[in-house]
Amino acid sequence: MAPEQHRPVWIVVAAYNEATTVATVVADIVGRGYQVVVIDDGSNDGTGLKARTAGAHVVRHPFNLGQGAALQTGIRFALGKGAQSIVTFDADGQHSVDDIERLLEALHTRGADFALGSRFLGATVALPAARRLLLKAATVFTRLTTGLHVTDTHNGLRAMTRRGASRIALRQNRMAHASELLHQIARSGLGYAEVPVTIAYTRYSLAKGQRLGDSVRVLVDLSAQRLHR
Amino acid sequence: MIAQIGLSILLGAIAVYAWTESARAPAIGFVAMAFAAAGLYFVWLPAHATWLAALVGIGRGVDLILYVWVVISLLVLLNLHLKLRAQMELITALAREVAIANARPPADTQ
Repeated sequence: MAPEQHRPVWIVVAAYNEATTVATVVADIVGRGYQVVVIDDGSNDGTGLKARTAGAHVVRHPFNLGQGAALQTGIRFALGKGAQSIVTFDADGQHSVDDIERLLEALHTRGADFALGSRFLGATVALPAARRLLLKAATVFTRLTTGLHVTDTHNGLRAMTRRGASRIALRQNRMAHASELLHQIARSGLGYAEVPVTIAYTRYSLAKGQRLGDSVRVLVDLSAQRLHR
Repeated sequence: MIAQIGLSILLGAIAVYAWTESARAPAIGFVAMAFAAAGLYFVWLPAHATWLAALVGIGRGVDLILYVWVVISLLVLLNLHLKLRAQMELITALAREVAIANARPPADTQ
């Protein structure tokens, strides 16, 4: 279990039409004794009900806002519940619950406020070559723009202390939130550590994942944000 | 003279609009103001437009004015896009408050 000062731990799961996998994901997390909040991002397939039945708190957006907005809602909710540590976790079943403890351990042993999962330090199962290339390109871009020496910039598996989470205020509702989060970590000046994690790709998770077109949209979103206050 | 007055009123209105937007989107506001001011200048001194156009390799002064007008239109369009983004942020904040206020606990704890 996580060290005393990092408890209670809340796991934030953003989910949009994930009825196929969300119950299993929640049950696995609850089975390890963590509190879970699923942000049902305006799903129309019963995701919220399945998550509640499996043991999660459910916060439902009235309509679909995007993964970035859902994560920010989850972080806000968890902080309001008194979380001392928050872990963000994907709903599509590609993350491993075993990695949660590793991330929390890193916060403790390495004195960091953010522990970022890295599939490139850890392992990937069935990652297609095109997806690997896209992720590597995103990593180079983010390293150049944030100055953070990270190896995997678009990994949804990460942990943060209460202090770290309080410094995060995501304004990018959609996929650009991953880069925005790293920018905010860099600006906060707080410590971060990378932790090897395993990402298991399935046909289901690949179908829901990002494509090249999404990366262009991410660049447009990041640029637009710099033009207004 | 009539065309010059009409264009001056239009460009003046754009300059005022750009100025009111500059607090929220400084980059776009200032660039739009600069282009509107340049437009006003060339409307009253078209010979200078012809000279400048020749200098930058456009050829005719009227083409230069046309290009400036296209740039202003695109900036106004971009500003509209940014306004929509800003409104989306407000909608998101509102939706978040509603969602958190209506949070549901796990089914078996009720």
